[in-house]
Amino acid sequence: MAAFGRRNVLLALLAAAMVLPAVANVYHLFIANLIVVYVLLAIGLNILVGYAGQLAFANAAMFGIGAYATGLLQVRLGWSFWLAFPGGALLAALVGLALALPALRLSGLYLALSTLAFAQATQWVFLHWESLTFGAGGFKTPALSFAPLPIDKPHGLYYLSLALLVALFLFAQNLVASRVGRAFVAVRDGEVAAQSLGIDLLRYKALAFGISGFYAGIAGGLYSAMLNFVAPEGFDLFQMVLQKAMIVVGGLGSITGSLLGAGLVIILLEALRAFKGLQEIVFGALLVAFVLGMRGGLVSLLKRHLRGWEEPLRLAQPAPPLVRARPLEVPAGGREQ
Amino acid sequence: MLFNYLLMSGVTTGALYGLVALGFVVVNKATGVINFAQGEFFMFAGFIAWMSHVQFGIGYFASFALAVAFGFLLGCLTDRIAFRPIAKSDVVSLVLATVGVAFVLKGLARTIWGGKADYLAFPPITSPDPIMLGNIMVIPQQLAVLGGTVVILLLFTAFFRLTRAGKMMQATADNARAAALVGIRIDRVYTLAFGIGAAIAAAAAVLTAPLTLLYPDIGFAFFLKGFAAAVLGGLSSLPGAVLGGLIVGIAESMAGGYIHSSVMELSPFLVIMAVLVLRPSGLLGRRQPRRV
Repeated sequence: MAAFGRRNVLLALLAAAMVLPAVANVYHLFIANLIVVYVLLAIGLNILVGYAGQLAFANAAMFGIGAYATGLLQVRLGWSFWLAFPGGALLAALVGLALALPALRLSGLYLALSTLAFAQATQWVFLHWESLTFGAGGFKTPALSFAPLPIDKPHGLYYLSLALLVALFLFAQNLVASRVGRAFVAVRDGEVAAQSLGIDLLRYKALAFGISGFYAGIAGGLYSAMLNFVAPEGFDLFQMVLQKAMIVVGGLGSITGSLLGAGLVIILLEALRAFKGLQEIVFGALLVAFVLGMRGGLVSLLKRHLRGWEEPLRLAQPAPPLVRARPLEVPAGGREQ
Repeated sequence: MLFNYLLMSGVTTGALYGLVALGFVVVNKATGVINFAQGEFFMFAGFIAWMSHVQFGIGYFASFALAVAFGFLLGCLTDRIAFRPIAKSDVVSLVLATVGVAFVLKGLARTIWGGKADYLAFPPITSPDPIMLGNIMVIPQQLAVLGGTVVILLLFTAFFRLTRAGKMMQATADNARAAALVGIRIDRVYTLAFGIGAAIAAAAAVLTAPLTLLYPDIGFAFFLKGFAAAVLGGLSSLPGAVLGGLIVGIAESMAGGYIHSSVMELSPFLVIMAVLVLRPSGLLGRRQPRRV
């Protein structure tokens, strides 16, 4: 294993993230937590777009559904965060599963546009169903406390997010290297070919949508707890482009790439915080530049120049041959039949 | 009375949606992709017209021509930057590249012409007082929009039917490989298709501008509604695009008048979902066999 291989670098990053709260101020801790949330989003989106090849534009809406559900379950039904948070993530996963139904009939452009329209409708519900969602002004969520533990909210939430990220990162990495991940890639590379290999399209598309919805829901719940506030504008089209830029910059079809892309994009976003117009120009241009110039994203650069960055798909156990092949015997002197 | 008024305003906005949809169809017929920057072409051209008309005092018709020419160039440029180099790659790349272009344009408009809440007013070119046509109350600008739309449609049809370039576009849309074999340079046809699609969006924007306010996020609303219209018409049918635009416009206007104004924003979503689920080939589109 090379010294600057993927595993060593990731472990170093994790160690840095663990000790960061000791040296960081409140603002830096907030940004670090934001990065963790966005890495979760980017991993979920990359599973859907980069691995399963489903060009969906609903991830920002899923993020919003996770945040709204986590917040509203606390405010409207009086659930505690520890119940509302997984509830919100499950709800987002269920909406994701439902979105897989149109995806079965539609592909490519049509899927992109119908999910875009769905995202717009979600935004409409956040804004106009005031008796449920409090409308355009948004609402405050109850303060989160880690009561029995001797830790304040920002630090507690940060370590909670980090723990979830480590677990979900490992889960995603094993998932995409498994039979399921290979099925996703097969669906992406050719639906008809995948079907002829016996891959059930409905099952795997639904799985990809559900998993990415779950990741977005977890991220949304953490995000609502970070801000103690939920409002519609955090989940708009710009958010979607931000997430798309993350996976394209990091590398489509790479879990590690999602992490790199999300980190880079959030740092850039914070650097340009005062200039909304400039943010749009920079992220739009990044998207075009990476699609045109570097299809594999940053992670492809690392793969090319450093050792130990490959992310292999795990090979299946070879099935025992049912029929032993024999070389064709041509009768001596005769012609092939 | 209310019905007539709603019908009139529905037909007017519907005609505009039809124009935007036409832009989608021209690009889609030639290249097989959806240009996600179409709404931003619309927005940007509207701002160009505003700048030349309001800031520099150039006449409305000269500003109109300027904005359309600018739109055409913008479309050609988008083809050269974000379509031609990756024309042979997968849908994900093609879509994300035009999404990137859309956001660059939006950011540019926001930087040049103002912040998130800045709405620019475009002075009306006709008298703002409503007139009575029979028993329908009409704002003269609506008539100007309708007239302008009809003229653009006629010009566009004439271009397609009568000119050499138009016939080349038809041939390429029909069968790109065969068109290439008879000597049509299809990559130029693609550039032309992007340019014309953007020019139509620009014309729609300058017609719309006096009826509404301009702001950097206006493009997305027109993008979704224009796309709903194009899908309803079948994505590959030019008359279908106009018909789809009228249906979306009237449905939206009626929903706004009889149910609630906020429902108007929801109508494109409902139309897109209904069409894609029930009849993906649209009203006038051809059923496409699945490519293997």
